[in-house]
Amino acid sequence: MRKQVMSGVAGVFVALVIGAVIMLVQGFNPVQTYGALLQYSLFTVPALAATLARAVPLVLTGLSASIAFASGPVNLGQPGQLIMGAMGATLVGLFVHAPAPLMILLCIVASLTAGALWSGVAAMLRRLFSMDEFIVTLMLNFIADYFALWLITYPLFDPAALSPMTLPVSTAAWLPSIGGLNTSVLVMLMATVFCWLVMSRGRSGYEWRMTGQNALFARIGGCKVDANYVRVMLLTGALAGLAGGLMILGGSHRFVKGLGASYAWDGIMIAVVAGNGISGTFLYGLLFSALQQGALGMELITAVPSEFIDVLQAVIVLIVVAGRVSLNLVLDYLATRRRLREAQ
Amino acid sequence: MARGVLIDLQRITKVFPPDTIALDNVSVSFEAGEIHALVGENGAGKSTLMKVLFGLERRNAGDILYRGEKVDFRTPREAIAAGIGMVHQEILLIPEYTVWENIVLGAEPVGPLGRLDVRRARDVVRAKIEEFQFNLDVDALVGDISVAARQKVEILKLLYRNVAVLVLDEPTAVLTPQEIPQLFGELRRLRDKGKTIIFISHRLDEVLALSDRVTVLRRGRVVGTSRTVDLTKEDLARQMVGRDVLFVSQRQPQERGDTVLRVRDLEVRGTDRHGPLHDISVEVHAGEIVGVAGVEGNGQFELVNAIMGLIPVAAGSIEIEAKDVTHADILTRRSLMSFVSQDRGRMGASLTASVLEDAIMTHHTLDPTFTRWHGVGLDYRRARSFTEEIRKRFDVSMRHPADQFQSLSGGNQQKVILGRELLLDTPFVLMDQPTRGLDIGSIEYVHQLILDLRTNGRAVLLISADLEELFMMADRIVTVYRGVMVADLPVEETNVGDVGLLMLGGIRRAHA
Repeated sequence: MRKQVMSGVAGVFVALVIGAVIMLVQGFNPVQTYGALLQYSLFTVPALAATLARAVPLVLTGLSASIAFASGPVNLGQPGQLIMGAMGATLVGLFVHAPAPLMILLCIVASLTAGALWSGVAAMLRRLFSMDEFIVTLMLNFIADYFALWLITYPLFDPAALSPMTLPVSTAAWLPSIGGLNTSVLVMLMATVFCWLVMSRGRSGYEWRMTGQNALFARIGGCKVDANYVRVMLLTGALAGLAGGLMILGGSHRFVKGLGASYAWDGIMIAVVAGNGISGTFLYGLLFSALQQGALGMELITAVPSEFIDVLQAVIVLIVVAGRVSLNLVLDYLATRRRLREAQ
Repeated sequence: MARGVLIDLQRITKVFPPDTIALDNVSVSFEAGEIHALVGENGAGKSTLMKVLFGLERRNAGDILYRGEKVDFRTPREAIAAGIGMVHQEILLIPEYTVWENIVLGAEPVGPLGRLDVRRARDVVRAKIEEFQFNLDVDALVGDISVAARQKVEILKLLYRNVAVLVLDEPTAVLTPQEIPQLFGELRRLRDKGKTIIFISHRLDEVLALSDRVTVLRRGRVVGTSRTVDLTKEDLARQMVGRDVLFVSQRQPQERGDTVLRVRDLEVRGTDRHGPLHDISVEVHAGEIVGVAGVEGNGQFELVNAIMGLIPVAAGSIEIEAKDVTHADILTRRSLMSFVSQDRGRMGASLTASVLEDAIMTHHTLDPTFTRWHGVGLDYRRARSFTEEIRKRFDVSMRHPADQFQSLSGGNQQKVILGRELLLDTPFVLMDQPTRGLDIGSIEYVHQLILDLRTNGRAVLLISADLEELFMMADRIVTVYRGVMVADLPVEETNVGDVGLLMLGGIRRAHA
């Protein structure tokens, strides 16, 4: 755990230094750039609120991927599950009428269910026909994408709009802001705490983690690995679905073309950087959100293009992941030398 | 010294990161034309030392002198070219190739245009076989010949490359008792023809029977090198373990109780992953240890997996305490049985998990005191105290329950697993080679634990490849051969030789 924190902090720092070098080579001022980045992501209240709101889909899809990868199933269907979750929330928001708190609750339940059903398809195909969820979830992403596009282009198309999108959902389903803070952030925080409890304090989380490490041992130990597989798939689908639902309820309030963007892929990347840990996923989710949010302001103040942030993110991923392994190698080497000196 | 020193290892030190000293200033010299046994417990550094010599492991300090010159082999290929060959524990041959093809592979005699000269290759191989009287058919497929014959092929592979030194890493581990004297005869012939043989073993009788000199390693240090004629088995054991070791069974006569495990007419169909079982019937009573003898791969794996519920049973029944579990799920079985597998890293634990996580497996679901919030949560405080309990009662040396399981030594890993399984409150204990890969000290400890189980009235089914172990522990021995049970004998009415023959299908064939 301490090693993880060490390699994470060191990795991010080294990545930022590398980023600074890249900027210097290109003739930009790194101090000014990083300053702008921070100012537009963390150092003002509206910027901080925007960063937190942007972190919602990143963290939720990241948690989905983390829990799946740590427990065994290679669920790479977060993009599709996010779309289906968003669509579930949209449908309830469009066609159900209820008072505000209940409406929000119904929409959230709909997004959880839709996401879980979509990953459930992959789980069912795995259980019935031994089809690898790795490829099935990837393919389901395309189906979800085009299915949603068809829905918003034809049956649910807003006639007043110029590009494919639905009508706005009932205002009763809009998540309120509290002092400028999008309340979807609160839902995300609750989901994070829930995931942490399940994985680090729950009996299921223990069984899932052990199954992810050594499925045969877990099975011999009496864990119901098949049932657990389905549960993990459903839970991680629901988390990604929730990410989509919150993007509707706390964001655009309607399903627009290209809604999911690359949030879910970023989430998978965050899970990898975080080594599938819950708290790590949360923190890296915030970091990546801050970078992406700050990129907009950075472009305003400096001449550095916002694409630079994509480079920086990639460098962070590489350095942190590679750093985890090489830090161990360096520590091993130092320990070996120390032992040798003692032995001589 | 009449014979000259051929290989001189000087002050070799090897550290495995982070801080395991595998070899600590080890100096040994091997003379030309001797059989030199390298003995020690598991983890004493025997194999590591030979791997350093052979170029498979880098050393951190020390020198290797070969024929008086400093050498530093970076790969096995260089070592073989210089005349040092090593036969590993696992046999690495191509089953679809014939004996001669396997032997010449990688150093084929070629004619013009680089074509394989088949006739010359076969002739050279046949000449080698005759020279060393190895009694092998050059054209047999390696997949069709016995394990002992495959081992000969491995040795011939090296002789074909004209090595002067042969290193054999526990060559007898894969052989039946009947095959061992033959191997020893061949090794002695090789020595008489001037080859130097380094023989790694932890079986004391074999070392005493075969070697000219013995070097004992303990915890990465040389205890001493002696001439074999000056040693007794007790001396060797004391040097290896560092204290006196008992070689007699501590088993006391005891009345057995009710039947606990009853396997009747068990049938398992073979698949491409495992063989079949046919007509297996075995009973184990409370307070009784029943041993299962057999050459590896004759149905032990299938028996264990069928009892555990990992492979389907085609016919017959398995009962534990009169409860039919033939088709029960694994959790139901686990409430009635403890299981110690032969493969710690695959079946017995998760190597990357913490000691605590591995220690509470099965307890976490069978014992309600491990859970909170009506079974939803896991009580990590209880888990920690339980891990502490295992550490104390089973004498595990570990630093912290949160340490990775794989940071423990093999013996300590097995103690954690035994602790976990034996603290389950079950009438039946299934043990599949529980001492495999352990050192003598740990083996003694495990044997005592098994006998304690018997005293406490538990029923134990003990599967072992080590006949001596079975004869020390078991009340009855059943023998399996090709998936069939060929004998079920009280230990007083049989002996190692008879069971060894049964394992090879000898008596059955004589009756047929």
